[in-house]
Amino acid sequence: MDAPRDDHRLSENRNGNGCGEADGRLSKRPRPHPAPISAAEIVEEFSHNDPAVARVNNGSFGCCPASVLAAQLRWQRLFLRQPDEFYFSSLHPSLTRSRSLVLELINAAHLDEVSLVDNATTAAAIIFQHVAWSFIEGAFNPGDAVVMLHYAYGAVKRSIHAYVTRAGGHVVEVPLPFPLSSPDEVVAEFRRTLGLCRAGGRRVRLAVIDHITSMPCVVIPVKELTRICREEGVDQVFVDGAHSIGNVEVDVQDIGADFYTSNLHKWLFCPSSVAFLHTRGSSAAAPRLHHPVVSHEYGNGLPLESGWIGNRDYTPQLVVPAVVEFVERFEGGLEGIRRRNHEKVVEMGKMLAESWGTFLGCPPEMSCSMIMVGLPGCVGISSETDAMKLRALLRDEFKIEVPIHYQSPPKDGEAAGATDESGATVTGYARISHQVYNVENDYCRLRDAVHKLVRDGFSCIQSTERVPSKVKDG
Amino acid sequence: MGTHHRDDCAENGGDDNGHLAKRPRPASCPISAAEIAEEFAHHDPSVARINNGSFGSCPASVLAAQLRWQRLFLRQPDEFYFHRLQPALLRSRILVKELINAADLDEVSLVDNATTAAAIVLQHASWAFSEGGFRKGDAVVMLHYAYGAVKKSIHAYVARAGGHIIEVPLPFPVSSNEEIVLEFRKALELGKANGRRVRLAVIDHVTSMPSVVIPVKELTRICREEGVDQVFVDAAHAIGSVEVDVQDIGADFYTSNLHKWFFCPPSVAFLYTKKCSASSRLHHPVVSHEYGNGLPLESAWIGTRDYSAQLVVPSMMDFIGRFEGGIEGIRKRNHEKVVEMGKMLADAWGTFLGSPPEMCCSMIMVGLPGCLGILSEKDALKLRSLLRKEFKVEVPIHYQLPKDGEVVEKDGSSTVTGYVRISHQVYNMEGDYHKLRDAVHKLVNDGFNCTMFPS
Repeated sequence: MDAPRDDHRLSENRNGNGCGEADGRLSKRPRPHPAPISAAEIVEEFSHNDPAVARVNNGSFGCCPASVLAAQLRWQRLFLRQPDEFYFSSLHPSLTRSRSLVLELINAAHLDEVSLVDNATTAAAIIFQHVAWSFIEGAFNPGDAVVMLHYAYGAVKRSIHAYVTRAGGHVVEVPLPFPLSSPDEVVAEFRRTLGLCRAGGRRVRLAVIDHITSMPCVVIPVKELTRICREEGVDQVFVDGAHSIGNVEVDVQDIGADFYTSNLHKWLFCPSSVAFLHTRGSSAAAPRLHHPVVSHEYGNGLPLESGWIGNRDYTPQLVVPAVVEFVERFEGGLEGIRRRNHEKVVEMGKMLAESWGTFLGCPPEMSCSMIMVGLPGCVGISSETDAMKLRALLRDEFKIEVPIHYQSPPKDGEAAGATDESGATVTGYARISHQVYNVENDYCRLRDAVHKLVRDGFSCIQSTERVPSKVKDG
Repeated sequence: MGTHHRDDCAENGGDDNGHLAKRPRPASCPISAAEIAEEFAHHDPSVARINNGSFGSCPASVLAAQLRWQRLFLRQPDEFYFHRLQPALLRSRILVKELINAADLDEVSLVDNATTAAAIVLQHASWAFSEGGFRKGDAVVMLHYAYGAVKKSIHAYVARAGGHIIEVPLPFPVSSNEEIVLEFRKALELGKANGRRVRLAVIDHVTSMPSVVIPVKELTRICREEGVDQVFVDAAHAIGSVEVDVQDIGADFYTSNLHKWFFCPPSVAFLYTKKCSASSRLHHPVVSHEYGNGLPLESAWIGTRDYSAQLVVPSMMDFIGRFEGGIEGIRKRNHEKVVEMGKMLADAWGTFLGSPPEMCCSMIMVGLPGCLGILSEKDALKLRSLLRKEFKVEVPIHYQLPKDGEVVEKDGSSTVTGYVRISHQVYNMEGDYHKLRDAVHKLVNDGFNCTMFPS
């Protein structure tokens, strides 16, 4: 199978000075150092991406390089060849190896704090089902609160209602301004909401905090918010970091939340789909979380429960070693990838904003490998449906894939909404991302497409095409 | 075993499965033995694989179709999500609806596996206990031979929420349906004792270990007579190994894995939920955007996942259509062959079958010589490993403790406490069973006994 080639920071030192000191704990043994991956090699790794499409939306579905897909195929074939042998001899050790690598990546303290699950949506269900039981079994009282951000992911909001509200909990949303000019605005709203709960005599049992909100996309100061939660007596903190790993630094001990989840298939090059769920404290004091799909390992701890949820294709969870190998081919490894993605997306974001006469939705330091760029107000986005229509138009006519966020303008009497250079209110934002396969031309195409629409006098208000009603931005 | 002479199946165009023939198929011979071997060339050729029941099997042509779906997603995932996924899932659901004779498409959901389906049904029961729809102490009945994971799920959801669980003891070896019906009726009486209601009966269609076919239609009818609220048939093994007609069986919930006996890749199952007031309140435990829109839609999006296993149902139907008699033909031949091989083994070993042929499907239990001395589950697992490693035979082994006072079946020298569960699927050869026969003979001749395993 994949021989775990663990030592990989050599690419940072092309002259052969030292090996892997930048991330020593992943360097198990010295390795001959080839040059960092070339642009041509990157193209080859992603040659299965549609070359005609300017794929400026890595956030929704992520991406997976050919070498990792090949590793996955090998695992699949191994299972198919003799599935019983695979189940009895290969599966568990391979899952453990993946979990160990994740532990290092996120700086978890103990291996039994790290579970692999299908995706962040599943991780959320695990947490919320636990909260529901707490209400049902009387550990929490009816009316106790769960706090979430207004910009929490739609599916997570529904999960909170499906489990928490149904079981008698009270859900409180933290309003968030957008556009944003500083993390202080987020902190202020968060404090205010917790203060309101306190004043109302509500015990806050759980705070659900996005590390990187989906739409609109901003990086939330989770470490500070977690600290505030501790000060304010919030029982537990769950950080929904669906986008984070491979996108921002993730140090779970530093952040200090009770639960932290992130998808590995978004920004960490795993195939669909796999996420980790970190649960702080492996001692008996830690709450007994359960996977909702109950199987043989029920009661043996979440990592083992999650390691067998019936007959499934577990291969996305097994390719983490291949992913680490891939990432280490880049200069600076994962840190280098993150840094360059961030720098590039900010650069491209500014280019677009300048070209369109608009602005960024948040300061660069609140963005990651994604950033929100205002669309010219004349495009006339007046609803979520309009945003979807425009997105579909860009996909179908311009072969550009980019999610569009609708930001309703302030109501009458409130401060004036953000306007573009022509004075029109900006109600739509493109969420552009940058991943290693992107090239500048992707963003030039987006720039030009919007210019064309503006020149042609396009406005969503006039468009009457039917579009799918579901909202999926990822 | 593998060669079928051409008949006029080509002209029939699949009429023996008529309602599934959506378009006329090009005239061709049934699939040949060589083609079957090619379709399963990815199996380890050195292994006598007589355990199709645990993990199923998937032919190369279906795997190729799956790969195409995966590549389509990878190419442009947003496009796939917005335009391809839901229509493709719908097409799979329609085919499943026809396969199982469901009345309404809304009754058919696709989920990862039967374990997930069980969690859905049991979580629903759990909420009913927690929210007062069911009274604490009301009963849920399950078979003693219910699948281990399902038993744990029943405890995790039902017992935890205050339900009372009753197990129906089942005799094994078993000689008739009447034995099962008798025990079931007794358990229902217990369930209703002290004014309790029996809220849910969980009934296997084909038990896993030991494997027997349960008379689910009759048991469901009895449930209705006795006022059981709902019946959930866990038919993990059923589709592709026994006939499945959900309207005829009449249960409220019915699930089966398509990757066990229906040639889909891991993993995909259907959950049938008969239209009624309760079914509209079933939810997938992984809540996402479609929450509240009905289980089929909820199950069709549970976050970013690889849904490709659910999309190859059409390709799987194509594959099955290449066999004489389609899935019915495959089932019939698998059954006949596994009974024939089972009898061959029982004769060779001087033992017996665990159930009469009419109570088995594509799997059958065959007693192992008592001198092997299987005295625990652990022994059974160790013996299974030994067969895998040293003889390259893959077959699950069941440990059966004879009951005190029970007339034990003797094979002439000592009590039979272990049974192999042999299966037959289209890729199997008689040589597979000879290998097993000879392996056991060798162990017996070498005087092997499970006490020789290091503890």
